[in-house]
Amino acid sequence: MGGNRNGAFQYQDFESPVLFASTLKLEGSKPFRISLISDPDMAANFWTSSHHKQLLDQEEVDVVHPLDKERGITLDDFKLIKMHMANYIWKLAQFVKVRQRVVATAVAYMRRVYTRKSMTEYDPRLVAPTCLYLASKAEESTVQARLLVFYLKKLYADEKHRYEIKDILEMEMKILEALNYYLVVFHPYRALSQLLQDAGLNDISMTQLTWGLVNDTYKMDLILVHAPHLIALACLYIASVLREKDTTAWFEELRIDMNVVKNISMEILDFYENHRMITDDRIIAALSKLKP
Amino acid sequence: MAGHTPPKRLQNYYQITGFISSGTYGRVYRAKGIKGNEGRTFAIKKFKPDKEGEPTYTGISQSATREMALCAELSHTNVIQHVETYLQDKTIYMVFGYAEHDLLQIVHHHSQLAQPRKPVPGATVRSILYQLLKGCDYLHKSWVMHRDLKPANIMVTSAGQVMIGDLGLARVFREPLVPLYTGDKVVVTIWYRAPELILGGRHYTPAVDLWAVGCIFAELVSLRPIFKGEEAKMDSKKNVPFQKSQMQKIVEVLGFPGEGQWPLLKSYPEHKELGTLYGAARPPRPMGLRTWWANQMKINNYPGNDSPGDQGLSLLEQLLDYNPETRLTAEQALKHKFFDVMRDGEGPGARDCFEGCSIEYPKRKISQEEYSQSLPGTKRSGLPDDSLRPPSKRLRDGF
Repeated sequence: MGGNRNGAFQYQDFESPVLFASTLKLEGSKPFRISLISDPDMAANFWTSSHHKQLLDQEEVDVVHPLDKERGITLDDFKLIKMHMANYIWKLAQFVKVRQRVVATAVAYMRRVYTRKSMTEYDPRLVAPTCLYLASKAEESTVQARLLVFYLKKLYADEKHRYEIKDILEMEMKILEALNYYLVVFHPYRALSQLLQDAGLNDISMTQLTWGLVNDTYKMDLILVHAPHLIALACLYIASVLREKDTTAWFEELRIDMNVVKNISMEILDFYENHRMITDDRIIAALSKLKP
Repeated sequence: MAGHTPPKRLQNYYQITGFISSGTYGRVYRAKGIKGNEGRTFAIKKFKPDKEGEPTYTGISQSATREMALCAELSHTNVIQHVETYLQDKTIYMVFGYAEHDLLQIVHHHSQLAQPRKPVPGATVRSILYQLLKGCDYLHKSWVMHRDLKPANIMVTSAGQVMIGDLGLARVFREPLVPLYTGDKVVVTIWYRAPELILGGRHYTPAVDLWAVGCIFAELVSLRPIFKGEEAKMDSKKNVPFQKSQMQKIVEVLGFPGEGQWPLLKSYPEHKELGTLYGAARPPRPMGLRTWWANQMKINNYPGNDSPGDQGLSLLEQLLDYNPETRLTAEQALKHKFFDVMRDGEGPGARDCFEGCSIEYPKRKISQEEYSQSLPGTKRSGLPDDSLRPPSKRLRDGF
């Protein structure tokens, strides 16, 4: 693994609003009646989608595959590697120039794969670029495999990252199967724009902040657990507290379960808090357990 | 452990009983269900692998990716039912419900086989259109445009249920990440291609599907394609030529489009090509859709009491509207007076296009041979995706 000097990964330069949980006061409030925000997204709509049917509980996501356990991968390692791979996909995407939605879909694929498959058998260093390849096709902005391979080599010089077109194409088949051929993923971005507008908060500063927050949620497993519009609401909630915008009345009118939104917000803030302790060494150590 | 269960094999659940058709995407087979699926018939689509990575390794084509992605999310009476997907030996197989007929066969039965020639009964035409529009409306409300509607892609079960099939060119049109034109330069089989596509429209809309529905309607009534142009082939540099013959066929019936009817006409890249039609040695002399319609009613001996009638003509006029913005949407078309007897899906024939129909349509011919001659008008002229996109262009479009 190249580490910092190769520019392999540096979390500081990853676009992310710098946040600290301590700046926020999240008080409990009375629950609201859950109502469904209609968000007809890509094909059909979210409530009838394969995405909705596949949502998992956090406990189901946080299962380290027995084969990975054998190699000494802990739950922390597991999360760390997935986060690292999400960043990796994001980096690669910048080279091949695809939009955020493709990245988000690719990360969702990668996270779904690891709810079913082991990292031992499905090496994340191959799964990550392959997910980007597949997502680019599913999102109708195809990136050619040879282009991906070219940038892969540019990004990482070491042999653990050295993959050829045939590897990507072979892994694509395995990933498709692991995904049960479900390729349509819904994301918080569209809901976010609608919600910002509805709340009258669609100025540049709030848009940038909330958009960045949503981007960061892909470093976590939220997309596997929560409906996209709830993730969007949590990001909007955090941003409004940070920027001291009073959104209480607006949230009340939405008639959603505010506890769910606040819980997701807390998860995001916890993530930022822990994120500061993550060093490249820890990631290298976790990854090296896969292929010593 | 999940990772170690042997994957399900197609041949353990289905037995191939014949070959149905082939296309750019791959082949379609008929199969009967075994092991729990007994008594049911299926259509299995086997996708051709993608060229990238040749010769040793091949990937999954864009067409297969599309169809897999969309079919898993869609579910409607009038859209072909997707049962499941298999991946084995590096090949994608999609299993669909089977239909005994398609519109191409039904038209063919009337135009070639039945003697003396009898028209498709008015009630059948109405029911087919109604169900087709229902499926279309569902797709469009799901933000999916089909982009390849034609008689060969419209399935009909022996129970008279009409289903839109072949979503290999279909795509989501909400917030496309790249202009639709960049993705596929050529969509819709030439005879069913909307004028805005012929004139080079880049950001076309689901209205292209409604034009195709209009053409299908006309074909059901006249028993031959209404605009049977000849396709101009791409040159060696894969430049897509102006489809002059096709445009001419349209103009011969509908007349030249004008800015009064179609205000944005001049903003289409190829609108100047219309001038070459005026200046031709034999400029088309439009007959008008009404005359065309009256002729068809006569030629095909439509009886007065069972013809699509004036309301049918009125609907057709609004489907074959040059201007995509004023062309009826599927939802609007379903509200047309022509469908009043359907009483919002409760009327006769709303679910069964053979209701009250005495004609016995022959079942689909299944060949035991793989390389049977395909019927005319079944070929899609779409190009393999991406084949026309230089990488530099794609990067720029990538935002």
